[in-house]
Parts: sequence; structure tokens; C-alpha cells
Amino acid sequence: MFHPKQYLQFLFGTLFLIGTLAAGYMYDFSKKFPPPITNRISFDAKLKFVREHIDPDQIDTIIVGSSIGLNNVIGSKLEDYSEKVHHALNLSVYEATTLEAEQILELAEAFPNVKRIIYSVQYSDLPHAKRYDNYNPEILRKFMRNELSPVALSQLLFNACNNIPFCVEREKKWKNEHMQSDKFTYLGFDHTGSVPLKIYKGKGVGGRWYLPHPGIMHPESFHAIARMAAKARKNGIEFYVAHQPYRPELYSKHKSVRDAIKYFDDKIMSIVSKHGGVLIQLQKLPLNDYQFADRTHLNDKGAALATKEIARTIDKHEKTNKTQGK
Amino acid sequence: MLFNYALGKELASPTKLKKVSKKTLLIIGIAFNLLLLGYFKYMDFFIANINRVTGSKIELLHLALPLAISFYTFQQIAYLVDSYREETKEYDFLNYAVFVTFFPQLIAGPIVHHSEMMPQFANLRNKVKNYYNIAVGLFIFSMGLFKKVVIADTFAQWATQGFDVSKELNMLEAWVTSLSYTLQLYFDFSGYTDMAIGIALMFNIKLPINFDSPYKATSIQGFWRRWHITLSRFLRDYIYIPLGGNRRGELRTYTNLFITFLLGGIWHGAGWTFVFWGILHGGALVIHRFWKQLGMRMPKLLGWFMTFMFINIAWVFFRANSFEDAIKVLKGMFGGKIVLPAWLHDYFSINNEAVQFGNWSKLFSQETYLWLWLLAGMIVVLFLPNSMQWKARFKPSLFYLLLTVLFFLSIFMLYRKSEFLYFNF
Repeated sequence: MFHPKQYLQFLFGTLFLIGTLAAGYMYDFSKKFPPPITNRISFDAKLKFVREHIDPDQIDTIIVGSSIGLNNVIGSKLEDYSEKVHHALNLSVYEATTLEAEQILELAEAFPNVKRIIYSVQYSDLPHAKRYDNYNPEILRKFMRNELSPVALSQLLFNACNNIPFCVEREKKWKNEHMQSDKFTYLGFDHTGSVPLKIYKGKGVGGRWYLPHPGIMHPESFHAIARMAAKARKNGIEFYVAHQPYRPELYSKHKSVRDAIKYFDDKIMSIVSKHGGVLIQLQKLPLNDYQFADRTHLNDKGAALATKEIARTIDKHEKTNKTQGK
Repeated sequence: MLFNYALGKELASPTKLKKVSKKTLLIIGIAFNLLLLGYFKYMDFFIANINRVTGSKIELLHLALPLAISFYTFQQIAYLVDSYREETKEYDFLNYAVFVTFFPQLIAGPIVHHSEMMPQFANLRNKVKNYYNIAVGLFIFSMGLFKKVVIADTFAQWATQGFDVSKELNMLEAWVTSLSYTLQLYFDFSGYTDMAIGIALMFNIKLPINFDSPYKATSIQGFWRRWHITLSRFLRDYIYIPLGGNRRGELRTYTNLFITFLLGGIWHGAGWTFVFWGILHGGALVIHRFWKQLGMRMPKLLGWFMTFMFINIAWVFFRANSFEDAIKVLKGMFGGKIVLPAWLHDYFSINNEAVQFGNWSKLFSQETYLWLWLLAGMIVVLFLPNSMQWKARFKPSLFYLLLTVLFFLSIFMLYRKSEFLYFNF
């Protein structure tokens, strides 16, 4: 038994020691791994990537979407193929719904010289009208631009990393799941933040190779795309919707897939004709199974072809606009 | 607060008022408090129901609910009523303000009574640093933190999955969902109360006990003597007894009991599911009283089982966002697909849609430790001492020091951000 005062001295001493060790771990973790700021590791990794590797003032093109944006458009290739795109940034996040993509686009304000936005999407991204909870774009913008005060940054990182068991788990998974280019969880960004996959012919993906998605699309998803287009036009930014290809065999075999793609295209056409923007339909590309990782995700070879087509459309559209003095 | 303090003073003054009677003043005071509460908490509920009944399209106000309004409204009404009964003393305004806004218990209780708090605030000895109280306070606080952050938030994930995410539940999933919520609510709310008691104790202020192992209760009456004790106390002293309590015959007693719990349900939230929850508990208490009047007895174990099952089912309505959600869970619990182990398939050639073999849950299949958590949760609530019993046993020894440190480690689980459930009430 201790005297209560002595007991408190021991208690506070122990807590102080644990607190110091924990703070050291958190600091070290946030330097080496994506700090869990959001509830998506690919989002966290992207925020850290932009903060450390991107000059926000240089970016002229933003790519956004789910994994369909992350894997199917290669920013570095886009810079090579297009005359107009000089500095691309792929802000896509795994599993982002259309409404979440709209939320991600709120980060575009951190890049003052953006001239175009490419929303890379497949109809299968649209079934849910889900948003990120507790989303604070202002803090994230400042984080990416290194503009948070030391106190605000410490607070953000403490809130992000204080769940140490979670961080330890993330640390373990990082190498095995997120640094392997033959896994869909790969997060090895190119210099623009894109993730070209090295998965060929649906190896090991089972039903994801031969089962089509149901053609469910939430109406709110289309409203979100309309809002994105309208906002882009208001800010003088070109808005492109890149409708990514579906595995050709499934496209030709299943009427439900063809109907869903047509329905999506019709809806987008009516949106862009009202709010501005360009629909890039990529189903027409002459792709085969060697260029697909699964039914909707392209591997690096397929993504290069899709990116080339996007680049060609951008150049053509913006040259025409220039000639017409728009 | 100023209004209530001034009114309380006036009501407590023994001099006879000339123009307005004390009763009128009391009615004005209570109405003022209830109107404020009604406006902020129940206005949208009221408008939504008017719209539903009349087909009108009055816009909802979407008012931000002032933090803890239900708690301090009750405390101030109690103060006014006791002033009217001339049971209050000459209180200092500063102490009154601390009583109403005392931060440890402000947002989720315990609901404190002026007679137990104001003398403590006024006592000069309580202004002297007390190392023992700080040590106990830290221990109880850390225990509450652990209950909230580690236990309640773990169960919260499964409860949320079942109530808010899944559209249909099989029998096992539905029971996991409802039990998870039953445990989540207890650990969340009692954890919060422990934190409040712990912090207050560091300032030498003793808050009243609010939970006394409620899930050990063997009757519904016993449950309400152990669950949110300070709310039950308020309902008894300021609603049940003024309605007549049990002094006006059996039928009137049943009615009073029922009304008290109906109002208790409404106090918890602006929604028909809360009203229904209040009706269920009011009804259960009436049946329990009737059973006792008949002089009938029940084996303790059966009594516990029935009480726990009833509480578990009633919490479904308390938690569900709508009756549809509640019915979804109840349908799963009592009419959902029965899940049997896969290996039994060879022994029973049942070709029935009501039975499934193996693959017990798509919803929870990733949760390896779910059953262990549920089992451990039940053991803790049924067999281990509660935090007040721990508090009584506390000694500044190595064991309690290590336990406190261990509990404080739960601060490293804070990432699973979630609000305290009782913040809304």
C-alpha cells in the first residue's frame, strides 16, 4: 500500500512514460505510413503522397473516381500522351461512390491552376448514395498544402494515430497488401498518384472475372455528377466523364450490361448537355482480356490504352474550343 | 438559469405574495422550462406528426439541440418544485450555477438533486486537495473510459451493422445485433457515468450512484431500481408521487405507473419508438405489480431470464431509427432463418427455406472474436462487481495502480470515434 500522494506520483510517472513512448511511435508512424486521417487507407495514402510529393500550384489536371479512376487512368501516361496535360494528379480513392467523388473534388480548391477534371467511372460505381462522414475538406486541403499550423497538425495527427493497435495493424498490412502490384489493394503510386495494376486476365479474382454487376444506379449519383459538372463550369474548368470499358466478353454476352451502359451514357449525355462537360465513352476501344485485371479494372496495359484515348479526346476538345474562342 | 434561480428564491420565500400565488408562479416556471425543452427537442417531431395527420407541408425547423437540455431541465424543475415546497435552503447563485452546469455530469447525468450537490459546493473542506479522492477518481474515470472506448464501441459496430446496414437478418444475426446493443448501451452509459463520478471525485464532489448492475435484476421493478437510478428517482419524486403514487387505489396506481413510464419514454427522445419503449416498460411494471398483488412468486432464475429478455427486446425499439428497423430485428430474432452448423447437413435432410446450414452470417463472418466478446460482456454484467463496488474496495496499492494504467491505455483505442449515446437525451 502506498500513501495516496506517493501512489499518484507513481501513477502519473507511469502514464507520462507511456504517453511519451506513444507520442514517439505516432510521430514515427505518421512519417513512414499513411496516418489514418480518413476511413480509407487509399485516401490517407493519397493525402500523404500529395503533401510530400506534389507542388499544388503546378497541377492542371485532376483525375477523380474510385479504383476505376485510380487504376484505369495513368496520370503519368496522360502527361505523355496529351499536349494539354502537363501536370496531372490522380485523387481517386478506392471504393469511392459518386457522392464521395464529389466530396473528394472539394479538395480541388487546393490546386489553384486546375484546368480540367476527369471523372473516371463505371456504372458499377453508382449503386449507393453514400458519403464520407465527418469530412472536413478545409483541414485536408491545408494538410496537403502543408499549411496547417504546428498545433493543428499535431492535433490532426494525434487524432489520426492515437489508436495504436490500429496503426500497428496498418503497418503490418502495408507491405503485404498495399505494396504488391499484383493485388487490387496495391497503393504504389506513380508520380501523379495513379496505380497501374499488374494483374493479368483476372488471375485469382474468381467471380469478379465472369459475373457482371447488376445494373443498379442510384438517382442521387447522377445528381452528384450534375453538380460536379455545374461547379466545374462555374469555375471555368473543363469536365470530362470517362466511362470506362466493361470486359468485352461480358458486354457482348449480357444484355443487362449493355442496357446499364447505355442508360448511364444517356443520363450523362443529358447532364453534360445541360451543365457542360464531355462524355468519353471507352467501351468502343478495341480491348481484349489481356488488358483487363477483372471485369471493370484495367491492368497497366489496358489503362495505358484508355488513357491514350482520354488524352486524344482532351486535346481534340480543347483545340476545338480554342479555335472557336470558347 | 437566472430565471429559475430568481423564481426559486421567490417560491422559497416564506412571505405571502400579494398579486400572484406561489402555485401560479410554480406553474409558470415549470411551463417555461418544458416549453424550452419542447421547442428544442420535440418541435420537429410535433410538426412531422401534424404533417402526417393533416397532409400539410410545414417545414421542419432542424434546430440544434442544446447539449444536455433534458438533464438540466429536470434538475431545474426539481429545484422549483422543492422551492415551492419550501424544502430548499438559502443558496448562493454561484453554487446554483455550478449545480446546474457542473461539467462532469452535465451532458449525460447522473441527474443530481440540489439537496445533495449544493451543500457539497458550499463546504469549505471540499476545496482542499484530497490525494485519496484524486486517486479513486482517476481509477473510476479510467474504468469508465475503458468501458466506453473499448467495450461499448466494440459492441457498437455490430449493433450498427445489424440495425442500420443490413436489410434482413437471420436468427443468429438478429440476436447478435440486439444483444450487442443491450451490452453497448449499458457499457456506454455506465462508462460515461463512471467518468463523471470519477472527475467529480477529483474535486471532492460525490455524485450519486446511477447504475447498480441492472442486468442482474430478477424483475422489471428491480431493473428500474438499478438502471439510471437518478432518472427513476426523479420520475418517482416529481411525476409518480405528485400523480398520487400508490395512495389512491390499485387502478389509479397502475395508471400512475404507466403514465410515469410513458413520460420517461418521451423524455428519452422525440420519436414514436421511444414512446412505444415507454409504453412497454410502463405495461411491464403494471403487470409486475399486478403479479405481486396476486401474491404469486417466480423462481429467481426464471425471473432474471424473463426480465433480461424483456429488456433486450424493448431496447430494440429504443435503438431502432424506425418501427420498420425494429420489426426487421425482431422478425429476425423470432422468425428469421435458423442457422445450424454445416456438419449437421448430412444428418438432417431438411429442405426448408427456414433453415440454413453453415456460413452463419454474411454480416458478421469477419468478426472472429464476436462470440468471445458477447460471452465476456455477459460475464462482466452478470458476475463481476460493478464500478461502485470497485470504488468501495479501492486501495492505493500496486494492483489498483496497474489496473488504472491498463484502463488508461484505452485512450489508444479512441480512433473509433463515436458519440456518447446519452448525449441526445
